[in-house]
Amino acid sequence: MPLYVEKKPDVLITEDGVRTDGRLPHEIRPIRMTVGILDKADGSAFIEWGGNRILAAVFGPREVHPKHLALPDKALIRTRYNMAPFSTPERKRPGPDRRSVELSKVIREAIKPAIFVENYPGSVIDIFVEVLRSDAGTRVAGVNAASLALANAGIAMRGLVAACAVGRVENFIICDPNHDEDMWGDADMPMAMLMESEKITLLQTDGPMTDEQFKEALEMGRRCIRFLYEMQKEALKRPYLIVERSVFEQGEV
Amino acid sequence: MLLVKNREVVVPGQALAKGKFKPGKDVYIDNSGVLRAKKLGLADIKDNTISVVPLSGIYIPKEGDIVIGIVSKISGSTIIVDIRSPYQGAIPIPRGRTVERVDMSKYDLHLGDVILAKVKTFDGSSSLLLTIDMEGLGKLEEGFILEVEPAKVPRIIGKRQSMLSILREKTKSEIIVGNNGRIWVKSPSLKELLALKKALRKIETESHVSGLSDRISSFLSEELSD
Amino acid sequence: MMFNSEMLTHKLLREYIKDLVANDQRVDGRGFDEMRPIEVLNGTFTKAEGEAWIKLGKTQVLVGVKADIGEPFPDTPDKGVLVSNTELLPVASPTFEPGPPNENAIEIARVVDRAIRSADAIGLSSLVIEEGKLVYMLFLDMYVLDHDGNLEDALTIASLIALGRTEVPKVILKEDGEIEVKEEKWKVDLRDMPINFTFAKINGKLLLDPILEEENVAEAAITLAIDKDRRVCSIQKKHGHFTMEEIINAAGIARDKWSEVAEMIKEVI
Repeated sequence: MPLYVEKKPDVLITEDGVRTDGRLPHEIRPIRMTVGILDKADGSAFIEWGGNRILAAVFGPREVHPKHLALPDKALIRTRYNMAPFSTPERKRPGPDRRSVELSKVIREAIKPAIFVENYPGSVIDIFVEVLRSDAGTRVAGVNAASLALANAGIAMRGLVAACAVGRVENFIICDPNHDEDMWGDADMPMAMLMESEKITLLQTDGPMTDEQFKEALEMGRRCIRFLYEMQKEALKRPYLIVERSVFEQGEV
Repeated sequence: MLLVKNREVVVPGQALAKGKFKPGKDVYIDNSGVLRAKKLGLADIKDNTISVVPLSGIYIPKEGDIVIGIVSKISGSTIIVDIRSPYQGAIPIPRGRTVERVDMSKYDLHLGDVILAKVKTFDGSSSLLLTIDMEGLGKLEEGFILEVEPAKVPRIIGKRQSMLSILREKTKSEIIVGNNGRIWVKSPSLKELLALKKALRKIETESHVSGLSDRISSFLSEELSD
Repeated sequence: MMFNSEMLTHKLLREYIKDLVANDQRVDGRGFDEMRPIEVLNGTFTKAEGEAWIKLGKTQVLVGVKADIGEPFPDTPDKGVLVSNTELLPVASPTFEPGPPNENAIEIARVVDRAIRSADAIGLSSLVIEEGKLVYMLFLDMYVLDHDGNLEDALTIASLIALGRTEVPKVILKEDGEIEVKEEKWKVDLRDMPINFTFAKINGKLLLDPILEEENVAEAAITLAIDKDRRVCSIQKKHGHFTMEEIINAAGIARDKWSEVAEMIKEVI
């Protein structure tokens, strides 16, 4: 029995392209990335993106149990995407559902091309994405967080994987759909790219787009991903800059 | 053409240089000939070679490394040792003629014992052989084990053991540092051990900022003054 | 897989911690009756009706309370429903595996739940909309994010804060049987503050709020909940054994500690 009822907004986007949260088509929601927030995990990252709160943690490379799953020449990559019961307006029963299983795989396929798996034969790298609060775009937020967590764990990678979703609302191609746009919009396209080669490692579409719209969406996605990549780099370097500054300041005293 | 400065913090995939440079540790060359970092770390430029000194990462064994391990399983012929790595170390228990050549008392080990060992051979994926036959290797008695980021071990030891000497002198402790990020410590009292723990955390977080030795020296003097 | 290398506590750790205890010391420098610092994070991290993300030393837990409405349990038609669940997330420790709650997770959930229920901290009878037909249901979901020991106490504190912050839309059952959800909200009335205190026994001595290393080395452990009237309201002996004196002693220490923790919780709610 739901205590919260969703209502479709009367207008999803104005003629001038103003969206339900006041953004213009190319704008992304406020976002903040932090690394190293967990002590026991080998690497971790936390993303606050719009209303999303997503935690990623990495363990590995570590020993595989059961042993027969180990690959002789490369690391095994395991990924789990999980939504907390309190992450949605109506409580979500704990445990994997079909959507979580699919997203776990999609996220793994997005990240795996970045990892130098041949560097860690016979081992496993476990990636956990925990959605604490869901607000549209959790899988791409998960990919962004997972990349950060892997780098934070000191794992050898070709580059970071940055991700963003693009959508279509009527004739507008929009970046980073919010909840209303995700629910009631006309198309949704999550994307991820391995930087800096910009090779696409995640691409899904849900909803029709003409050839022109599709190309525009890909280009919009690329631009947003570039922006997010800059944020990822800053998040990884930030702790070191903070320490540097504080040491410097202490020295002055 | 160099794209980064020496000791600059770089992220995986970051372009480090183009042209006549050689890729060192944790650096790769992409399809268009650009040298890129494989890990989050500090760019290290020596003549024409560019490496990355990682700021974190699990310990991957190297032949010749000294490691501190925990006995995790003993079968009839092998002692299995956990060295905080995805690869378990194995010490074959000597049989036959070999028994005469080694100190067999060293092999009187039990589950949970802490040992100082050397990496004899590692094939990179499944077979990791350790040895305790050399002088100074074997079971560690008393003391305590602290764990640090394996990537920070070189900094904790320092050039010509300079940092390690500071740690030993200031805390009046016996300290053995394993390449696998485990450190055996015997301190006069809990006070020194706690000060050492804090100093190690400080080294871990500030390893990329120069002047560390002096800071650690002052820090320990202050912590242990009365 | 319980016994991997992380769980295999090495002998030096065991001996060292025991030696320290014999000299009235702890491996992190705390006193035997001293709890680690508690930090409550600011911000919104969930879509729960009440939430709390806290740190107890380096242990980190996140608790969310979700509200729903439904039929009461047949044997308690005059009470609302409280369902407590704990997830030992794999992100929290190399020893936690993904999957349904194991016996440890279930025990922890029930220990926290028992403290709250035995003290009737949220007044389950006040959660009734219409007796026998419709009640409020509160789901207490406890997430362990980082395991550095003493999950029970951390989760209990976070749960009390989360419950104290819980606001639920008011629901009325109309005469025609229709359910109406109003805009107006009511806040959970935390009428008691049953706080769990866990002790680990090492070398015959009791240590409050054990850190992970102490937990791994302890020969016994016990958790006691104290309510606002300083009564012991629930107990769970974990592993090992205790003398009666030890337990009475522990209860005394817990009673003394109650106000300090209760004050902090009240301030934060």
